[in-house]
Amino acid sequence: MSQTTYGWLVLAFPLAGMLTIALSYGPLKALPARTAGWIGTGAIFLAFLSAIGALIAMQGHAPDQRTAVSAIWEYAVTAGLDARMSILVDPLSVYMILVVTGVSTMIHLYSISYLDSDRGFGRYFAYLNFFVFSMLLLVLASNFLLLIVGWAFVGAASYLLISFWYRRRTATKAGIKAFVINVVGDIGLVLGTFFIFKHTGTLEFLGSFHAAAAGAFAHSKGDIVAGCILLLVGAFAKSAQIPLHTWLPDAMEGPTPVSALIHAATMVTAGVYLIARLHPLFELAPAAQDVGACVGALTLMIAGTIGLTQTDIKRVIAYSTMSQIGYMIMGVSVGAYAAGLFHLMTHAFFKALLFMGAGSIIGAMAGEQSLLKMKGFRKAMPFTYGCFIVGGLALSGIPPFSGFFSKEEILALTGAMGGWHWALYAAGYIGAFLTALYTFRMIFIAFHGEPCPEARELEEGHLHHAEQPFNPADGEIEDTDVGFPGPGHAIAERAWPMRVAMSVLAIGAFGAGLVQIPQVDSVVTNFLRPTFAASPLYNTKPSTGLMVAGLIGGTVIGLAGIAICWQLWVRKPGSARAWQERLHPLYVLFAGKWFFDEAIDLTVVRPAAALGRFAAGSFERLVIEDGLVGGAAGLTKAGSAIVRSIQSGLLRYYAAMIVLGVAAVGLYMLLQS
Amino acid sequence: MTPQMLIAAAHIPAPHVPFGGLSPLLAFLGGALIVLMVGLMSPRRVREQGVPALAIIALGAAIGLTIWQWGDQRSILDGALRIDGTYLVANLILATGGIAAVLLAWRSAAGHEAAHGELHALLLSSLGGMSLLTAAQNTVVLFLGLELLSIPLYVLCATEMRRERSLESGLKYLIIGSVGSATLLYGLALIYGATGSSSFGAIAGAISARSLTGDVMLLGGITLAIAGFCFKASVAPFHQWTPDVYEGAPTPITAFMAVATKVGALVAFLRFFDVALIGASGDWAPTVAVLAAITIIVGNVGALGQSSLKRMLAYSSVAQAGYMLAGVVVASKLGVRATLLYLIVYLFMNMAAFAVIVARERETSFGDDIQAVAGIGRSRPWLAWPLTLSMLGLAGIPATAGFVGKFYLIDAAVSGGYTWLGVVIVIGSMISLAYYLPVVAAMWMREAPASAAAPAAGPSGEPGPSGSPYPAIAGGSPELDEAGSAPAHGGPHGEVVLVAVLAGAATLFFGIVPQPLFDLVAHAGRGLGLF
Repeated sequence: MSQTTYGWLVLAFPLAGMLTIALSYGPLKALPARTAGWIGTGAIFLAFLSAIGALIAMQGHAPDQRTAVSAIWEYAVTAGLDARMSILVDPLSVYMILVVTGVSTMIHLYSISYLDSDRGFGRYFAYLNFFVFSMLLLVLASNFLLLIVGWAFVGAASYLLISFWYRRRTATKAGIKAFVINVVGDIGLVLGTFFIFKHTGTLEFLGSFHAAAAGAFAHSKGDIVAGCILLLVGAFAKSAQIPLHTWLPDAMEGPTPVSALIHAATMVTAGVYLIARLHPLFELAPAAQDVGACVGALTLMIAGTIGLTQTDIKRVIAYSTMSQIGYMIMGVSVGAYAAGLFHLMTHAFFKALLFMGAGSIIGAMAGEQSLLKMKGFRKAMPFTYGCFIVGGLALSGIPPFSGFFSKEEILALTGAMGGWHWALYAAGYIGAFLTALYTFRMIFIAFHGEPCPEARELEEGHLHHAEQPFNPADGEIEDTDVGFPGPGHAIAERAWPMRVAMSVLAIGAFGAGLVQIPQVDSVVTNFLRPTFAASPLYNTKPSTGLMVAGLIGGTVIGLAGIAICWQLWVRKPGSARAWQERLHPLYVLFAGKWFFDEAIDLTVVRPAAALGRFAAGSFERLVIEDGLVGGAAGLTKAGSAIVRSIQSGLLRYYAAMIVLGVAAVGLYMLLQS
Repeated sequence: MTPQMLIAAAHIPAPHVPFGGLSPLLAFLGGALIVLMVGLMSPRRVREQGVPALAIIALGAAIGLTIWQWGDQRSILDGALRIDGTYLVANLILATGGIAAVLLAWRSAAGHEAAHGELHALLLSSLGGMSLLTAAQNTVVLFLGLELLSIPLYVLCATEMRRERSLESGLKYLIIGSVGSATLLYGLALIYGATGSSSFGAIAGAISARSLTGDVMLLGGITLAIAGFCFKASVAPFHQWTPDVYEGAPTPITAFMAVATKVGALVAFLRFFDVALIGASGDWAPTVAVLAAITIIVGNVGALGQSSLKRMLAYSSVAQAGYMLAGVVVASKLGVRATLLYLIVYLFMNMAAFAVIVARERETSFGDDIQAVAGIGRSRPWLAWPLTLSMLGLAGIPATAGFVGKFYLIDAAVSGGYTWLGVVIVIGSMISLAYYLPVVAAMWMREAPASAAAPAAGPSGEPGPSGSPYPAIAGGSPELDEAGSAPAHGGPHGEVVLVAVLAGAATLFFGIVPQPLFDLVAHAGRGLGLF
C-alpha cells in the first residue's frame, strides 16, 4: 500500500472507533465493562500501526519523492476555489502522526484503569477517539480548509473532555473558557488563511508554497506579515502562549489522562506544527517569525515562574507544559524546525509520563490534588516515584535523559542565529533553571519527607478512600453519579494497564533523546529534511564551541536547580517559607499568575460585558428589536400583505399588471438610454 | 408516380437534415405520437400501464440520444438550431424532469380523467417544445418552441376535468399566456425591424455594427421581449398567474411546470440575451437586474404565511427564478454555468417536494395543505426526509445542493459586478427560511392531525377541514363508472416515494460532492457562443 493509503487508515481507525463506541452504547452495556475502552485503545493502536506502515512505505522512496498528496474527493474545485478532501503525507506529517498515535495509545491504555469506575466510561472513550481523530486530521490536512476543520474539531473535543465531568461547575466553566479562547485562535487562523489565499489563489499547502516562492507576495509584504501574525494568533491560542494561555491551567479540570492527552500528544502541539508546516510562508515574513520567537521566550519564562508557586500538582505540570511549548514555538520560529519538533516528541513522552504519575498520586490521595497535603509517597509508591524521577530529570534537562538533547539543540540553534537572538538564548537558560526548580520542588514535596496519612495508609497496603467525594478545586461535596468522577480510583502500583503505559513512556522519556545527539547522530533532522528541503534556515549549524558550552552549561544549570530544591525542601524543610517571606512581592506576582486572568478580565471581559449589558438594555431593545427586527418583520409582513392583495385571482387585473409592467420596464429603458 | 415526377423530385435539392443533432427532439415528439396512438387502444392495461411505460422509454431514449451527442458543438439546419453543451445539459434536465412527472402522473386523477394517452402525449410535446426552445438560434424557432411548450401546458393544467380549480387554472393560463406570447411576439418583431434579421448571430452583428444600443425601436423590442420571457419564467411583476395556476393544476403537472418550464424559459433567456442582445447588455442588464431583485423580494414575501404547499412552492419558484436571473444578468461564462447548475439542483429540490405533496394528497384528505405533512417525520420517514432536504436545499442550507447552487450564483453576481444583487439573494434566502422551516417543523415537531390517519377520499372528495380549495363535484367519468371503484387515491404509491427519495438523495449528495455538477456545467458553459 502506498503511504497515502496508510494515511487514510490512520484517520479511519479513530473515526471508526469513535462511531462504534458512540453508536453502540446500548449493546456495549451488555458486554464486559471495559469493552468500550478496549475498542478505543485498539482503534488508536491500529492507527499507530498504520502510521508505522506509512513510515515504511515512505522510506521506500527517494528523499525527494517522499511527499504525497491524496484526495478522497473534490468538494468544490472551480474557478478561484479548490476545496478538496485531501491529505498530505510527508516526513513532517508522518512524524506527527507517529507521535500522536503512539502517545495516545498509551494514554488510552492508562485511561482504561483510571476511568474504570466512572459512569461515563463509554462516552469518555468516544470523546477521546474523536480528539485523536481531530488532531490527526489537523496534522494530515493538505490544505487550509481541512486544517481549519481539524483545528476546530480539536477545540470542540477539548471542550467536551475538559468538561467531561459536566456536573462539576468548575469543569464546565473551564471547558467554556478553553473553548472561547480557542475560538479566538480559530478566528485568527481563518483570517490569516484569507490573507494567504487572497494572493496565492489556492487552499492547498504545496500550491501556496509554490505561489509564495514564485513571488505571490512580492508586492504585498504587508499582507504576508499580517497573514502570518494572524496564523500565529491561532497557534498561540491552541498552544497556550501568552496572552492566550489562561485556559490551559483551568483545563486541568478534565480527568488526568485528558490532561496528558491535551498536553503531550495533541492540541497544544498544534501551534508548533502549524508554524513548522507553513514555514515557507513564515520565512517570507521575518517580522512574524520574530513575534513568534519573542512570545515563545516570554512564555517559557513567565510560565516557569508561575510553576514555582503553584500548589496543585496538575497545575505545576500544566505551567511546565506552557513553558516547554514556549521552547518549541521559539525553536520553530527561529528556524530550528527539527529541534523544535524533536523537543515536541521528547516532551510528549515525559509530559505524558508526569501526568500519569500525577494521576497515580491523585488516585492515592483519593482525588486530592494539593501538593500541600502530599508528603512522603516515596516508599508507598516506588513505581510512581521512579516514573516521576525519570520524567522530572528529562524535563529538567539532565543528561542523558531525552529532554536534555532536544532543549539544548533548540537553544544552541537560537544562539547560532546571533544578534538579538542571544536574548532568547539567555531566556532559554533562565527558563531551564526555573524548570529544574519547579519540577524538583514538586517531586521533593510529594515524595520526600514524613509520609502523610494517605501515604502511610498505602504503605500498610490499603488505598485511601475519601469519606465523601469532593471537588478538589473548591472542596464541594459531590455525587458519584454520571457527570461526576466515579467512586473508584486507581494507582499505577495496582493497575497493570497504567503500569504498562507508564513504563513505555518512561523508556521513551529516558531514551528518545539518543536518536539525535549533537555531533553523533541526527536522525530527526535527516528524517524531516525532505519537508524542509527548500528552507535556507534548515541547515544552520551551531559552532562546536557553542554546542559544547551549551551542553555543559545546561547540565550545570539543571543540577544547580535540583540542588537548591534539595536544600530547600529535603534538607531544611521550611526554609522555602522563609524565602517566600523575603521575596514577598515576587511571590505575589508569581502566585497570582502574573495577573493575566485579572488583566484579561479588566481589559476584555468587563468592557465586553458592559457593552453587552448596554447593548441588551438599550441598543438591542430599541434599535434591534424595535427597529431592525421589528421593522424588518413588519416590512416583510406588510410586503406580504401587498403581494397578496394584488393577487386577487381576477384575470383582468393580471393582464393589467402585465401591461403596467411592460410600461414600467419600457419607461425605465427609454429614460436610461 | 410517373417517371417525370420522379425526375423532377430528384432535381429539387433536398435539405440536409442532421438527424443526429435533432435526435433528442425527435425522441420527444416521436414519443408523443406513439403514446397518443397507443392510448387509443382498447385494453385498459395497455392504456394505463403501457402508455406511461412508453413515455418513459421515449424520455429514456431522449437521454440516451443526448448523451450520444455529448461534446458536439455545431449549428444545424442553416443556423436555426445550435447543438452545444447548454442544449444537451438542458435536455438532460428536461428528460429527467419528464420521467419524474410521468411517474407522479402515472396513477393520478389527471390520468384517469383525461385519458393517459392524451396526458402523456401533451407532456411529451411540451417537452419537445422546450427542447426546441433551448436550441433556438433565431427568433422564429424561438417563438415556435415557446408556443409548442405553452399550448400543451394550457391543456395539461385542465386535465383534472372534474375539478373546477383545474379548469380555472387551465383557462387562466391560456388567457394570460396568450398575452405573454403576444408581448413576446411583438418584441421579436420590433427587434427584427430594428436589426433586419431574425437570426441571433445576425442580430448581435447588426447591433454592434450599426451601434444600435440607443435605438428606440430596438429598446422597445427588448422591453417587450423581456416582458415575454419574464412571463414564461414567472418573473415579477409578470408572475401573477403562477400561484393560481400552480395551485389549481394537478400536482404532477405543477411539478412538471415548475421544473421544465423554468429550464426552457431560462435557457432561452440566456441564449437570446447573452448571445443575440449581448451588444445591448448595457441597456437590458440593469433592467433585468432590477426585475430579478423585485422577483426575489416579491416571491419570498408572497410565500410567507401560505398554508397551501403548492401555492407556497409557486411563490418559492418565483423567488428561485429571480435567483437564476442573476446568472443571466451578468452575461458571463460564470453566469451561464451558475444558472445551469441552479436549474439542475432546482430540479431535484422541487421534484422531491412535489412528490411528497403528491403522496400526501393521495394519503390524506388535506390536499396540499401544510397539515397534510404534519407529523410525518414519525409515521412516514421516507417522505419526511426528502421534503426536509428539499426545503433546506431551497433555503440554501450548506451540505445541500441548494447551497452549492446559490453560492455559485452569488459568486457569479459578485464577480460580474452585481454585488448588490448578491446581497439581495442573501436577504431573500433569509426571508425564505420563514416559510421553508415551518414545513420542516410541521413534519418533525407537530403531531399528525387526528383525521389524517383516517382513509381519505382523496383530493376530489370532500373538502378538507381547513377549507381545502377543492369543491366536491359529483360526476362519473366513463372510466370510473366502468371500473366501479374509487380513483387511484388512498394508498402510498411506490413510484411516488421513489421519486421523492431519489430527488432528496440527489439534493444531499450533490451538496456534499458537488464536483460532478461543476464539471457538467463547465462543459455546458463552454459552447454558448459569443463570450
